[in-house]
Amino acid sequence: MKKLIEFRNIVKEFDGNIVLKGIDLDINENEFVTLLGPSGCGKTTLLRILGGFLDQDEGEVIFDGKEISKVPAYKRPINTVFQKYALFPHLNVYENVAFGLKIKKMSKDLIKPKVERMLQLVGLDGFENRDVTLLSGGQQQRVAIARALVNEPDVLLLDEPLAALDHKLRKEMQHELKRIQEEEGITFIFVTHDQEEALTMSDKIVVMRNGNIEQVGTPTEIYNEPVNEYVANFIGESNILDGVMKQDYLVSFDDKDYECVDFGFRNNERVDVVIRPEDIDIKPKGQGKLNGQVISVLFKGVHYEVVVETKKGASKTITLHVLKDRDVFNAEKNEKMHATDFTMDIEDVEEITDEEIIKRANAQAWDSETNEDISIANLEYNIEAKPGAYPVIFKTHNGTFITANVNVVEPKINKDMGSKIGIQAFDVYKSVDEIRESMAISFDLKTWADAYAWYLDSEDEVEIDDVRFDFDPNEIEEGDYPVTFLTMGREYKIHTTEQQEEGSIVSIDFGPRDIHVMSKMVQG
Amino acid sequence: MKSFRRLVYPYMVWAGIFIVIPMLLIVLYAFTREGNSTMTLNFTLDNFIRFFQDEIFIQVLIRSLILAVITTVICILIGYPCAYFIATLKPNSQGVMVLMITLPMWINMLVRTYAWRGILLETGLPEEIKVYIGMVYNFLPFMILQIYTSLSKMDKSLLIAAQDLGCDSRQVFTKVILPLSIPGVISGITLVFLPAVSSFFIPKLLGGGSYVLIGNLIENYFVTTGDWNFGSAISLIMTVVILISMYFTRKFDYDKEAR
Amino acid sequence: MKKKVISQAYLIAIIAFFYLPIIYVVVFSFNDSRSLTNFTGFSLRWYEQMFANRTMMESIYYTIVIAVLATIISTIVGTLAAIGLSKSRRIIKETVTQINNLPMLNPEIVTAIGLMLFFTSLNIQFGFVTLLLAHIIFCIPYVMLSIMPKLRQLDDNLAEAALDLGCTPFQALVKVIIPQIMPGIVSGALIAFTMSFDDFVISYFVTGPGINNISTYVYSSVKRINPSVNALSTIIVVGITIVLVLVNVIPLIKERKKKHETNY
Repeated sequence: MKKLIEFRNIVKEFDGNIVLKGIDLDINENEFVTLLGPSGCGKTTLLRILGGFLDQDEGEVIFDGKEISKVPAYKRPINTVFQKYALFPHLNVYENVAFGLKIKKMSKDLIKPKVERMLQLVGLDGFENRDVTLLSGGQQQRVAIARALVNEPDVLLLDEPLAALDHKLRKEMQHELKRIQEEEGITFIFVTHDQEEALTMSDKIVVMRNGNIEQVGTPTEIYNEPVNEYVANFIGESNILDGVMKQDYLVSFDDKDYECVDFGFRNNERVDVVIRPEDIDIKPKGQGKLNGQVISVLFKGVHYEVVVETKKGASKTITLHVLKDRDVFNAEKNEKMHATDFTMDIEDVEEITDEEIIKRANAQAWDSETNEDISIANLEYNIEAKPGAYPVIFKTHNGTFITANVNVVEPKINKDMGSKIGIQAFDVYKSVDEIRESMAISFDLKTWADAYAWYLDSEDEVEIDDVRFDFDPNEIEEGDYPVTFLTMGREYKIHTTEQQEEGSIVSIDFGPRDIHVMSKMVQG
Repeated sequence: MKSFRRLVYPYMVWAGIFIVIPMLLIVLYAFTREGNSTMTLNFTLDNFIRFFQDEIFIQVLIRSLILAVITTVICILIGYPCAYFIATLKPNSQGVMVLMITLPMWINMLVRTYAWRGILLETGLPEEIKVYIGMVYNFLPFMILQIYTSLSKMDKSLLIAAQDLGCDSRQVFTKVILPLSIPGVISGITLVFLPAVSSFFIPKLLGGGSYVLIGNLIENYFVTTGDWNFGSAISLIMTVVILISMYFTRKFDYDKEAR
Repeated sequence: MKKKVISQAYLIAIIAFFYLPIIYVVVFSFNDSRSLTNFTGFSLRWYEQMFANRTMMESIYYTIVIAVLATIISTIVGTLAAIGLSKSRRIIKETVTQINNLPMLNPEIVTAIGLMLFFTSLNIQFGFVTLLLAHIIFCIPYVMLSIMPKLRQLDDNLAEAALDLGCTPFQALVKVIIPQIMPGIVSGALIAFTMSFDDFVISYFVTGPGINNISTYVYSSVKRINPSVNALSTIIVVGITIVLVLVNVIPLIKERKKKHETNY
């Protein structure tokens, strides 16, 4: 294959932001190349430099053996399909497609057959006189492609041309584009952030991140052998785990050693391990590598996506004390008041404010006839930073008052050494009505209990994934109820054609070839 | 498209010569003595001292400011309800009303003011009132259109939301419509106050020769007396006064928004 | 219901206020006598006088000629400058916008005396040339102001698409950009025309002996009572009404025609 385009150390800066950090890339003749990456990775900038709409700050672009940086856009044998198509709204379909040829002063009788052939190629014959602004997105797209291809360019640049189309149309256009590329034998350079699009259409994928190229390869290479976590995550769904490369062909993760086919790492080098969901098999309990519980099953059309938890997350159980409503009624002033006991971390005592106490005690006062809120005028309390129960008196201007207890306690922390996660939460005191009125009970319980989880080594917060309790919040009565807060454990995503029962215990299995070991990414 | 950028360069030269230099010339004249050529410049503050030492000039300046403020206030008081009523009409009628208000503006200001001269000629009204009528007549449409634009651009769902949140119709007006239309009022003020301070043909046509405003002073020193240095100084003072007033109007607007 | 009556009465009163002087001018232009307060009878004598008055006819001529020339020149210059500006770096964009704001935000009289001082310093004779030049100078910022939003709406890729398809920058300008911003150019030209046609303050300070436009003529005839000014005003009112009606009605007719056609 012949090299058509060579990017040599391309650097581009916008207002102090370096968007391309020295790109080197070769593109061959008749290749379908996809530049893949999230927005802001520099893929569009690279395309615009090739199109001649931007000048690079450093480096050279070599086209067919010649440096073309000084060649203006209109003299390059390259055409572009723009993201929002950029059709000329004042021209009809035919005039749009014929535009480039007319500019080249081609005679009318030559233009006509060319335009007609192009419209046929993109499936728009008969649309010649239509107003382009009245076409559908897919049709505009086709006009844009025809308008570019009719000029018989050596290279066609496509800047996220399918982004504006709906899912079905996008699929259709993907095949269409591939067909056109094969029929016309032109180099296509396609920019997208859609990994699926990249995998289906390309001969070569260039994965970009922050102005750098992370990996160049065929779709199969990129999918099966991603060079790092970033590429693995970007292309397809994966299970990515922290591991240690014990020695060649032996990797350890989740406290176990596994045989693998990877080599060439330093002994005991920290690595990322990828196992693709479709490479994992589900077997009866005890017959695979790891046992676990099926925690969710989603039907995805062709396969099931099963999540198996092989290790539980950290958890902390507290007591929810549901109390009788004990509203105070001041008949003289027609005022009612409400407040509940609450628990407080001993460390928070110093910083406590009146507003905070009112909020935590859910203290309210209202007119018993009109139901209008009355503000709480003052609070009396003497809370010390010692464990114990302290009364707080809430008063209105009219002298109605209510007392609630603040239980100051030492934080109770559960340290889960297996997952290296700490989790803490406090007991909760609430009235029946407060529980029944809650619109999102799990969320409220987390707030009320001040539940919080973190990594013991890094102190980073860990999301509390699940709140478990065994009552119906709408039917709850007075009493004590256990509530458990859990963080996420080790979960494996598995694609399988067999349905699994949620909650069942299974074993997951994978072979040495299913494990792919990658170097840890250098940050930045 | 870098190649199109070049199209602006000739205009930059043009604007520098025909917009910036004339402004600088005013400053130059204001700070120099009469009769100098451009070769020998005598910088002086005499022109400004002369202005601020003479009570008559100060009176004229204050009178112009008062006239402009009162004109602006009247325009808001008459214009706001008018804009509000238009905004509550059916969309088609709104268009017709806006057209009806825009139409007279297409006719030469001088011609319309001249017509008022005829109408007011034998009414026996004090000159000052005649000037006010002329001022309000000329500037009211700007105020109405600005306020109307801000009212009609208002998201109608806000009003529904306000009602939903328990506002009665009076509260919807005071809590939602009025605050949101303040930017329209502010730009209306800019469009009325500014030309009102400097206007000179309205007082001349309607107030006879006796009603002198700062604009008339400038005209007088440039056209009749030929003392351009002093005239420049007066217009510089006027510009500064306008800038200060506009600054406070805008500041009021920003403060509102900040809250 | 009562509210509606009040609001309608209010609007009618406002409209009456706006149209009173216009109706007055038209009525009294046909007055028999010199009086501006008593209508003594119908006659066309003020129209005869107007057409016989050379200065007056000249002022109409100059107004139109200046307005047409200023519109054409300021529209061309303003369009090109606006296109260039829209592609310029931020700092240039902001500087030029600020400079353009000067004549738009400054009191007209300040712009006027600035130009007067400028022309004097260069020893340019006041007259037709200074008048035209001044009109072009203050019209361009308005033209640019009305084109800039259209340019901002313009898909950035359109010009690129044209270059991509082989247009030179000039061809891209003529074949793609200008057709796209035509509505802005037309409204800019319209604004320029009215600004020039109606201008008094700037014209008053920069015109020379023997060159009057309608505004300066009316101003100069303020000392004497001259009812032919009413006749002149009436002609302007009628002319502008016809133009505005055409401008507003023609698109309606076109649209109806289009609808009619698509029905078949």
